[in-house]
Amino acid sequence: MKPKDNCLLDESVSTAPAREIFRISNLSVVARGKSILRNVNAVIKANQVFGIIGPSGAGKSTLLRCLNRLSDLTPELEVTGSIEYRGRSINAPGIDADALRASTGFLFQQPVIFPTSIYKNVIFGLRHIRRGLSFAQLRETAESALREAALWEEVKVRLHDSALTLSVGQQQRLCLARVLATQPDVILMDEPTSALDPKSTAAIEELILQLKARHTIVLVTHNVPQARRVTDWLACLCLRDGAGEIAESACCDAVLTNSQCREVIEYLNHG
Amino acid sequence: MRRASNVIFPALCGFCAFLACGLLFGLVFVIAQRGLPAINWRFITEEIRQVGSEGGIFYNLIGTLILIGTACLVVVPLATGLALTHAVYARKASTRSRLGLFLYTLNGIPSIVFGIFGFIVFVKYFNWGKSWLTGGLLLALMILPTVTVALIERIKALPRKYLEAATGLGLRQSQIVWSIILPQSWSGLITGGLLGLARAAGETAPIMFTATIFAGASIPHGVRESPVLSLPYHIFILAQDSFDPAVAAKLWGSALVLLALVFALSILALPLRLRLHDEAQG
Repeated sequence: MKPKDNCLLDESVSTAPAREIFRISNLSVVARGKSILRNVNAVIKANQVFGIIGPSGAGKSTLLRCLNRLSDLTPELEVTGSIEYRGRSINAPGIDADALRASTGFLFQQPVIFPTSIYKNVIFGLRHIRRGLSFAQLRETAESALREAALWEEVKVRLHDSALTLSVGQQQRLCLARVLATQPDVILMDEPTSALDPKSTAAIEELILQLKARHTIVLVTHNVPQARRVTDWLACLCLRDGAGEIAESACCDAVLTNSQCREVIEYLNHG
Repeated sequence: MRRASNVIFPALCGFCAFLACGLLFGLVFVIAQRGLPAINWRFITEEIRQVGSEGGIFYNLIGTLILIGTACLVVVPLATGLALTHAVYARKASTRSRLGLFLYTLNGIPSIVFGIFGFIVFVKYFNWGKSWLTGGLLLALMILPTVTVALIERIKALPRKYLEAATGLGLRQSQIVWSIILPQSWSGLITGGLLGLARAAGETAPIMFTATIFAGASIPHGVRESPVLSLPYHIFILAQDSFDPAVAAKLWGSALVLLALVFALSILALPLRLRLHDEAQG
C-alpha cells in the first residue's frame, strides 16, 4: 500500500489547496425529538479520503446519508444547518436530489445485490441515469467499471450468471463497480468492509487508495487500523449528551497519534 | 398445567385444521362423484339445449372466461395504481389510512349490492342493457380490495435495502417503481389476482341482473345488449330445477367444471408465482 502524505493538524493550513467538495456547517439532525447529530462542521476536499470514525450510535452513518440526502428516505429525520456540495446548498430550491445522488455514489455496509445477472447489476444505475446508451457503450462501461473495481478478471467469463453466486467480498466489489459505472464525483462508503474477510478488506482498501486519484471518498469506518491505512483526513464523532458531535477533525495521523481530545483518546484506546 | 396446555392447544389447532381440510375434501369429493358422470367432450363443446337438460356448457364456459378475463384486465392497472399510491406515493399517514379504509369498506360490500349498483348505473343509466362489460367491471370492482391489499403487502415486504441502493444510485422514483418495486411485487399481484378471480368466477349476484342470461347468447360482438352465458348463473338456474335427474346431472357437471376452472387458474399460475417468489427472495 502506498504511504500517505503527511499533513498538518489545522485544516486551514492543510498541505493541498484542494477544491472544496462538501462544506458542512452547523448540521444537526433530530429524530422524534431525540438529537442524533449536533452542530457538525466539516470541509471535504477533492480527491481526499475523508474518514469518519466514532463509537456506535454517534451518528456516523446519519452524517454520511445527509451528504447525498439519502436521509430524505427517513421522514422522521429533521435535518437543520447547511451542506454545500461544490458551493451550492444541497437543500436549496431547485436542487435535484436524484442528480445529487447520481454524483455521489453510495456503498453500503452489506453488499446490496439485485437478484439478476452480474452484468445487469453493473449497468443497473447507468442505464437509468444515462438513457440512450447503446448496447456497446453499456458493455464498454461495465467492463471498465469492473476493471476499476478489480473484479473483471474474476467474472469476465460469467457476466450473465446470477450475481448471487459471487462471494460476499466479490459482491461488495460488484456494488463498487455499479457505483463506478455511473461515474460519480464522490463515493460515500458506509463501513464497506465490515462484512468482509481480511483478504476482501485488503482488496477494497487498495481500491480506495487507487480511486482517490479520480474521486473524492468519504469513508465511515469502525476499523481504526483501516482509517490509518486509507484516510487522509479524519473526523471523530463522539457522543455528548446523547448526540454525536465532532470531537476532533484533522489529518489522519494527527488524530490517531497525537490527539488532544480526551474522548478521542478514550475511543481509540477502548474502541 | 403447562404440560397439559402444551398438548391441548396444538391438538385443538390440529383438529380445526383437520376439520377445515375435511370439509374441503368432502365438498370436492361430492362434486366430483356426482359431476364426473356428466363430463364428456360433448358436454364441454356443445351449447345448452332443452333448458339445460341436454347439450353442454360451451358458451357458459366461454362467457365465464370473458367475464373473469375482463375483470382481470380492469383490476390489474387499478390495483397497481392504488397499491403504489398507498405504499409509495402517499406521503401522509392519514392518506394511507383513508385509502385502507376505502379498500376494507369496498371489500365488505355484499355482492348483491354490486349487482344493484351495476343495474342502476350501467344497465339503466348508461342504457347498456345486459352486457359482458358491465359484468367484467363489477367483478373487477369486487375483487379490487383483495388484489390491492395483496400487492400492498408485497410492496411493504420488499427489502428496504433495494430501495436505498437504487435511490443511492440516483434513480428517480418512477424508475425505482418500474425497475425495483413492480418487478419484485408481481407475485403479490398474481396471488391476489388468483384469489380474487377464483371468487369472481363463482359470483352470481353481481352478474345476474347486469351481464348474463340463461340461454340464447354466444360470443358478444359489441357492448350494448350483449349478455353472455355464465357457469354460476347456469348452476343457479339449474339448481332450481334439480328434481329432474337429467338436469341434476348437468348441474353437478357444471359445478365440477367451475371448480376445475378455478383450480386450473391456480395451477397455471403456480410456476410463475414460484419463479417470482424465488427472484424476490434473492
